[in-house]
Amino acid sequence: MENQIVDLHLSDRATRQKWQQFLESLGIHNFSDAEVDKIDFTLGLLDEQGQLVGTGSAAGNVLKYIGVCNKEAVPGARFNAIVSALTNRLFQEHRFHLFVFTKAKYSASFQHLGFKELAHSDVAAFLETGDPNVDDYLAAVPRVAGQEAKKVAGIVMNANPFTNGHRYLVEQAAKENDLVYVFVVNTDLSLFKTSERFELVKAGTADLKNVIVVDGGDYMVSYATFPAYFLESADQTIRYQTTLDARVFRDTIAPALNIKTRYVGSEPLSRTTGIYNQVLQQELPPKVALKIIERKTATNGNYITATEVRKCIKDDNLDAIMGLVPATTQKFVEDHVAILQERIKEGMNINGN
Amino acid sequence: MEIKETAVAGTLESSDIQIMLSKGTDGIAIDLESDVAKQFGNQIKKVITETLTAMGIQNAKVKAVDKGALDCVIKARTIAAAQRAAKTTDEPAWEVL
Repeated sequence: MENQIVDLHLSDRATRQKWQQFLESLGIHNFSDAEVDKIDFTLGLLDEQGQLVGTGSAAGNVLKYIGVCNKEAVPGARFNAIVSALTNRLFQEHRFHLFVFTKAKYSASFQHLGFKELAHSDVAAFLETGDPNVDDYLAAVPRVAGQEAKKVAGIVMNANPFTNGHRYLVEQAAKENDLVYVFVVNTDLSLFKTSERFELVKAGTADLKNVIVVDGGDYMVSYATFPAYFLESADQTIRYQTTLDARVFRDTIAPALNIKTRYVGSEPLSRTTGIYNQVLQQELPPKVALKIIERKTATNGNYITATEVRKCIKDDNLDAIMGLVPATTQKFVEDHVAILQERIKEGMNINGN
Repeated sequence: MEIKETAVAGTLESSDIQIMLSKGTDGIAIDLESDVAKQFGNQIKKVITETLTAMGIQNAKVKAVDKGALDCVIKARTIAAAQRAAKTTDEPAWEVL
């Protein structure tokens, strides 16, 4: 029995329908356009009769929609064949660090193929394989002398862009701790690019000597751990993704860096971030304390949000962002307003996160 | 021979082994996943280490996912991964074979 690996082109309606029916028969049901549109390629496994008996897809460095039918086959053989084909294809593209989000019951199957589990909840698991892995990531994070005995806190922010609200949050943490790590979300799906956001956070906190700004890598609110942050998603989806994100932080990131407290801003406005905060509250303590800092308001009494800043950029109303952002961000926006407006015109969504 | 970039050879299917090589600083460090690690883990690591050493590689991070490969397969996959990692695929390492 020789199975054959083929490319499935989901843009073809008949193929898409066959693919979706196959996965639905295996209990996979989320086929929202937001998810499916992000797929880069899809492979299928055909048996001797040309029947679809397995499939898997990749979006960036994340494996998705993996399903196999094991009827009349050696258990595991088809699963291994499809995952092998997927990973080899990604390796050829020089993507050597791969992730998978899967139902908790399939975690073991992936672990048999060398994947390492980063976190799991009752329903889902999050695994990685390849190089560099989470140990390499953590080894590269700067540390200070005697860190084990110090009071260390962590903040994760997208900072799109860095505002006085972010600044206030970092200041509070810096006052109450010996050392504060600010992890900047590393996913280029925001108006301000990752490198720009990172530099603005650095510039805006340069005077705070006990703050270290770090690239959040693939492990904190990244497109891999928490796609719902970037894609419009149902509450339940957000909840299960944030649960895994919180557990990666609690069980892997925090212990390695001796982080005992995570700081977040209160979230009266964004639904996604609001749920995220609730889940953090549920998952982090007692191992990692969660400290919610009341969000800073501007002089007019409104909350300071990066969303507001992006709106001002779109409306070409740069005077209005004074008071909302530190001088470093203000200067960057003034110098780059044309290109930022160009990005918005090209369709960059500025109302999300 | 020196590892210039991460490279892979092999598959995850039965009787094969997938070898990923990347830059290392601390000798040859092997992370092996195998259902028969208990019985053959040391032998698999020995074949990988000997093959790499014979090719003149002293430092490497190796991630190996074994699905019951024979020694000759392990050796072949290791050589292929090493040549890809060192970007010397056009000069076969005959003396190691």
